[in-house]
Amino acid sequence: MVPLAIARQTVREALRRRVMWIFLICGVFLIALGPVFGFLSPKDSQTVLRSLGLAAILLAGLFITIVTCIYLIPVEIERRTIYTILSKPVQRFEFVLGKFLGGFAVVFINIAAMGIVFLLMIRFQEGKVPADMYKGVFLTFFQMMLLAALTIFFSTFATPVLNFFMSFGIFIVGNLSSVTESLTTSRVKATQVAGTLIHYLLPNFGNFNIQNTLIHPTQEITNPDVFIRQNILYALIYSAVLLILAVIIFDRREV
Amino acid sequence: MQKAVKKMPASVNRRTAPMAVAVVALLGVTALLQKAIDPTARQIHMGEKNISQVSGGLNNEFMLLPLLGFREAAAGLLWVRCDEFFHSGDYDAILPLVRIITLLDPHAENVYVTGAWHLSYNFTDANERSDRRYIAPSEALLDEGIANNPEIPDIKFEKGWQNFDKIKNYTEAEKALQDCIAGPHHDETGVKGTDDYPFAAPLKTLHLLAHTYEKQARLPEALEEWQKALARTEKIMADDKAAGRQQNYANKQMWFAEKHNYAEDLQRYHNRYTTTGHDAINPSNPPLPGVLWPTGPGISPQPWDVALRPAIDVKRPKVLRVYGRFNTADGSRIDCRITDWFYKDRPLVDIKNSFQVNMAETILVDSCAVRKGKFDREMDMSKDPKMYSFSVPTYKIVLSYNPRTTSPHLTDRFGWSGEGMTDSDLTHVYLDNREPLLGTALIAGQGATGPIWDGVTVPWANHSQPVRMVKVTYKVSRKQIMGEAPITAKDIVPND
Repeated sequence: MVPLAIARQTVREALRRRVMWIFLICGVFLIALGPVFGFLSPKDSQTVLRSLGLAAILLAGLFITIVTCIYLIPVEIERRTIYTILSKPVQRFEFVLGKFLGGFAVVFINIAAMGIVFLLMIRFQEGKVPADMYKGVFLTFFQMMLLAALTIFFSTFATPVLNFFMSFGIFIVGNLSSVTESLTTSRVKATQVAGTLIHYLLPNFGNFNIQNTLIHPTQEITNPDVFIRQNILYALIYSAVLLILAVIIFDRREV
Repeated sequence: MQKAVKKMPASVNRRTAPMAVAVVALLGVTALLQKAIDPTARQIHMGEKNISQVSGGLNNEFMLLPLLGFREAAAGLLWVRCDEFFHSGDYDAILPLVRIITLLDPHAENVYVTGAWHLSYNFTDANERSDRRYIAPSEALLDEGIANNPEIPDIKFEKGWQNFDKIKNYTEAEKALQDCIAGPHHDETGVKGTDDYPFAAPLKTLHLLAHTYEKQARLPEALEEWQKALARTEKIMADDKAAGRQQNYANKQMWFAEKHNYAEDLQRYHNRYTTTGHDAINPSNPPLPGVLWPTGPGISPQPWDVALRPAIDVKRPKVLRVYGRFNTADGSRIDCRITDWFYKDRPLVDIKNSFQVNMAETILVDSCAVRKGKFDREMDMSKDPKMYSFSVPTYKIVLSYNPRTTSPHLTDRFGWSGEGMTDSDLTHVYLDNREPLLGTALIAGQGATGPIWDGVTVPWANHSQPVRMVKVTYKVSRKQIMGEAPITAKDIVPND
């Protein structure tokens, strides 16, 4: 399998990057800080531990994903190693898919590492790990998968610096999905159209932010499992869309 | 020079069209999925405010967090800052943070509860009297919290508690506590039926509701509430026993306390309102003055004349001495309330961005203890110009005695609704006839003939007594408050 071979190589290269380890260490450090807030009331310290832990996973995951994925394709072009790869019986779509899978595997390893530390901290402080906490880590993982696909898509035509700002910018806009959703019902026609386009066409990263229900377990939502499944499906399909677009552009790019 | 035309390989061109179609089709699917996701996402983000609304009070380090989707983390860290401010006594810094936190994370119930408590109780003058202007924003904050968290009983309980303890609006307290017990997804007894949250509201809600009924002179309902509480505690104890768990002595103590309160209510009811009271059964134990026994032996069926005779001196500008006579037992308290003449108790407040109050308004609530039939208290408002600005021309000073808010040993003398008291100066007697304030209906079959009201026996069927208060209202000018003119009996106006 060509894409898997490319993915394996990509993981090896990515793990050699020191900057990724720095983000990982920062993330783990932030999560480990949680029990420091034990001086608060039990309910408050639980809130802070959970919110800070989930935020640390997301923040470190965000930077790891972007920093890892923005270089995956441009570096191959810059070093001209892509000629060696493409001169072999490797299709361009296999190359893009391989890079994505490699980047995604790196993200998975990092989020899994931070997730384990986070769940251990919860176990340490609360005596048990509520089942919902796994869902929080799990959804962050799919959120980062979508971000990885977006970054790979941009990396087929943009420089790493430009890619960083575009991915980061769209991540912020996508996180404001509750705002963009309210714009879809705006009384101003132009705002309504713009809001609808943004809300339904741009990737909605805010969909995956279920931290609130995890931090406040008394908050009830209808069919949480269906909601999670819908979000996973959304991440998978949207990632597929971005990868197809990446293939279309990369196919036409002269390298 | 001719520009080179880039030509794509045929295989690329062949692939592009189906891939483009696939992209459009899949984007359509994601749009449909997004439409399906939106209602649940709306539930999760209910009450969250646009970041631009909260950014005004956020430092730079906190601004980025909500933008990246870390609203709860930002709220949690701000709450840590609040805790520091609480411990350092920097109360002024807390309110803006509470506002921002609740906008960032509208499901942080602890912040609503603590913020409202802080608003209602912790802003005080030099003599530790609360700044009552903050009651309205406190109530508004609790209402906002309840709207954002209809599932959570804590905020509703806090609203009930504040109305019971601080505001003494028992009608509102009852509503909030009923709402708390009712809670969504429960049966009519407040049982939710899940292992983690078996009841819609904690047991203390039932206790407070029972006390609220007592304060409203609605004894049958109070007794019923104690019975419900006893039944719940007994069930918890029985479940423990059935599961082979060790007896929980806290539950046992709770059961004793509930039983005691139930018995006490029952005894007071019979003592105060029926012929079966133990004082009536035992004629050698004469009733206390003022108590109305329907058929008690050897008592004059006349209400007790409490004879409230107040006077007010202005010692210095904004320093009033309130003194006088009040013919009751020690432990009574005369409530004193000084406000702008047109002061509204529950003004509409806008807490969208902050908890600002109208600093031009003046309200003081205090009370004077009665000892040996006299009361005397100095009310110094000169040290707190921000709280007592006295910036309007006319003020209302109300001195009153409310049998519903007094302690039980005094209610024993005058009944829950003040049936047993009057004032020989009838202009001081004030009946609050508002429907929600009407007192108890009697327990079926335990009513005897009915209490005596101004010498006339009121049949039990009609016994839904309004509150009978003793009240004196003064209308005074700013000049008088400033000591430029005396406050005399001529300033007394009819009670409203």
